[in-house]
Amino acid sequence: MRFSGFRVLREGLTGNRGWAPHWRDPEPKSDYDVVIVGGGGHGLATAFYLAKEHGITNVAVLEKGYLGGGNVGRNTTIVRANYFLPGNSEFYSHSLKLWEGMEEELNFNVMHSQRGLINLFHSDGQRDAFARRGNAMVNQGDDAILLDREGVRKLLPYLDFENTRFPIYGGLYHPRGGTARHDAVAWGYARGADARGVDLIQNCEVTGIDVEQGRVTGVQTTRGAIRAKKVAIVVAGRSSQVAAMAGLRLPIESHVLQAFVTEGLKPVIDHVVSFGMGHFYISQSDKGGLVFGGDLDFYASYAARGNLPMVEHVMEAGMTLMPMIGKAKVLRSWGGIMDMTPDGSPIIDRAPVAGLYLNCGWCYGGFKAVPGSGFSFAHLIATDRHHPPAARYRLDRFATGRGLMDEEGTGAQHNLH
Amino acid sequence: MRLRCPLCGERDRREFTYKGAAVALDRPATEAWSADWDDYLHNRANPAGETRDLWQHAAGCGAWLVVTRDTVTHSIADVRLARGEGTA
Amino acid sequence: MSPCAGLLPLRSGTVRLAEVDPGRITSLMPGPGQAAALDRALSETHGLGWPAPGQAILSQRGGVVWTGLDQAMLMGPAPDPALARHAALTDQSDAWAVADLSGGDGPEVLARLVPVDLRPQAFAEGATARTLLGHMTASITRTGPETLRIMVFRSMARTLVHDLHAAMDAVAARRGLDAGGPPR
Ligand SMILES: Cc1cc2nc3c(=O)[nH]c(=O)nc-3n(C[C@H](O)[C@H](O)[C@H](O)COP(=O)(O)OP(=O)(O)OC[C@H]3O[C@@H](n4cnc5c(N)ncnc54)[C@H](O)[C@@H]3O)c2cc1C
Ligand SMILES: [Zn+2]
Repeated sequence: MRFSGFRVLREGLTGNRGWAPHWRDPEPKSDYDVVIVGGGGHGLATAFYLAKEHGITNVAVLEKGYLGGGNVGRNTTIVRANYFLPGNSEFYSHSLKLWEGMEEELNFNVMHSQRGLINLFHSDGQRDAFARRGNAMVNQGDDAILLDREGVRKLLPYLDFENTRFPIYGGLYHPRGGTARHDAVAWGYARGADARGVDLIQNCEVTGIDVEQGRVTGVQTTRGAIRAKKVAIVVAGRSSQVAAMAGLRLPIESHVLQAFVTEGLKPVIDHVVSFGMGHFYISQSDKGGLVFGGDLDFYASYAARGNLPMVEHVMEAGMTLMPMIGKAKVLRSWGGIMDMTPDGSPIIDRAPVAGLYLNCGWCYGGFKAVPGSGFSFAHLIATDRHHPPAARYRLDRFATGRGLMDEEGTGAQHNLH
Repeated sequence: MRLRCPLCGERDRREFTYKGAAVALDRPATEAWSADWDDYLHNRANPAGETRDLWQHAAGCGAWLVVTRDTVTHSIADVRLARGEGTA
Repeated sequence: MSPCAGLLPLRSGTVRLAEVDPGRITSLMPGPGQAAALDRALSETHGLGWPAPGQAILSQRGGVVWTGLDQAMLMGPAPDPALARHAALTDQSDAWAVADLSGGDGPEVLARLVPVDLRPQAFAEGATARTLLGHMTASITRTGPETLRIMVFRSMARTLVHDLHAAMDAVAARRGLDAGGPPR
């Protein structure tokens, strides 16, 4: 089933009775070429590109809950390519280009809106760092404009520019940055994968990974055993548990990250605004809600709700940046479990078990990575070779110290990112 | 979440700073690089359930603490001074 | 000039906030295994002692206030040189702003800023806590039935007074409402 203007019009006039489910609900088969564990954004995109780019369609995505019920449906939807270090730069640049073609590629409206992202700075030192980052972005072929205070004021007149602690000196403007409708991305990839023959199997939790003589042979699930030539783990916050089923210990700690949304308001925030010094960022959804968030709760946790001290901290940061926000009523808050690596960058690699592949460590920034990660991971699974833009996301970089990608410059240590 | 500091009594989570898994207390015996060092520095059990980790009562007495707690329910089983624990 | 000069005293409702001249403030840290010896030395030289965690040993001239792991502040007198045999000493007299919050509503005021129960039944005379007051690190000691002694870093004096004043006014307003409301 394809979407078109004509189709929407016709369905509208005939009571919307012609729409069919977007994907099948198949029973698991006993055998697949590739089993993907985890039906989040990354797992679904991986399945889609395995089918589309490599013609591998005897594939199952096993999801313990429902598609899009994990972080892909919990994030604050920022899509950007403003990374600084080799490894990250080319990967996110590639991913953003895939975003720009996504709606056509999937024939699905994911509401990708390149409304522009502004990262604020509050000191000369920060300005210098952002100028450098902007240059790296431009050299990568992406866009970046260094704004002075008046430049920021023109775009974001509602900020408190004279705050004593964090006076606004300017911002790094990334016009191609923006937002998207998070679940739509999961649904779009799900539909595209299903249409190419991939089995999307929900309510199917993987409980074991079968390994014989160093080679993966299949998985155990709550819906029975499934044999597979290759198994790909893409389970975000649950990476450590699933990898442990194959005897692996990963360089990952799981942390909770919270987000908040207010009641719907008239359009007021036209961009994505990031206030790094206060660990606060905000945008406005098309429904009108102000969507904002802060930093991790900062201790290992699998409780997808979060604690009050961080709520208080985020609210204080919001008030510091734009006192007008005090008038808005918060409607909901929620949390998601982030797979944090020591250097804050992800892992797309073969596991040290033949036929087992790892995609994890996206920290709090994996939504923007969905298409790039799916594309590169599919390439790795299909060809057993790293896809160039993701070639540096190696599991062994911590052990060897080679190729660490620590964007914040705080060191490759847990709990610093 | 509240932690019972052995020196200060039960205190709000805001007073504590998190370090990470208590493996940090068990420094490998050898100085030369080995898989043990990779495990010590990077790899984590990261359990969904009971865990032992290090916290500092930063806004209180300043002591480092070993906390045994559940990462799913956030219930706290034990808090003790890190001093004297582990090999480090 | 004292840290709270020009800012204190203040009164709001039943509560009064006044600056205290603490005299000398000396932080003490016993050497390894020296806590018992330091306890004896403090007793012989100053008639005080080494306090247990969360305790202050108070005297007319000040006292010894526990302020953290292996650390306490000698308040008031200059330290007897004999103490240096058992402990590291640092003069911190200029480093702290000290104020007394007095009146029955003191715990009520601090309940708005401090995440510790400071009511007399939970925090008796001689109890001390190292904790947060708003965003500031603070040391709070009950020195009398209705008196809480508050110490924050000197550079925070103005914030301390501002935050406490707002909390004092809020408690007073709440009491005023209670008093003027319908009989209960
Ligand atoms: C509050 C919040 C804000 C965020 N904001 C942003 C942002 O603005 N921009 C950005 O780029 N990123 C953001 N992120 C990060 C981003 O959401 C994640 O990095 C990304 O979604 C993770 O990949 P995923 O979509 O595959 O994960 P998920 O959607 O979590 O998918 C993993 C799936 O695996 C399933 N699973 C787990 N264990 C098993 C098992 N044993 N068997 C079968 N299935 C299993 C889970 O049920 C889940 O559906 C944010 C995250 C949060 C929580
Ligand atoms: Zn303590």
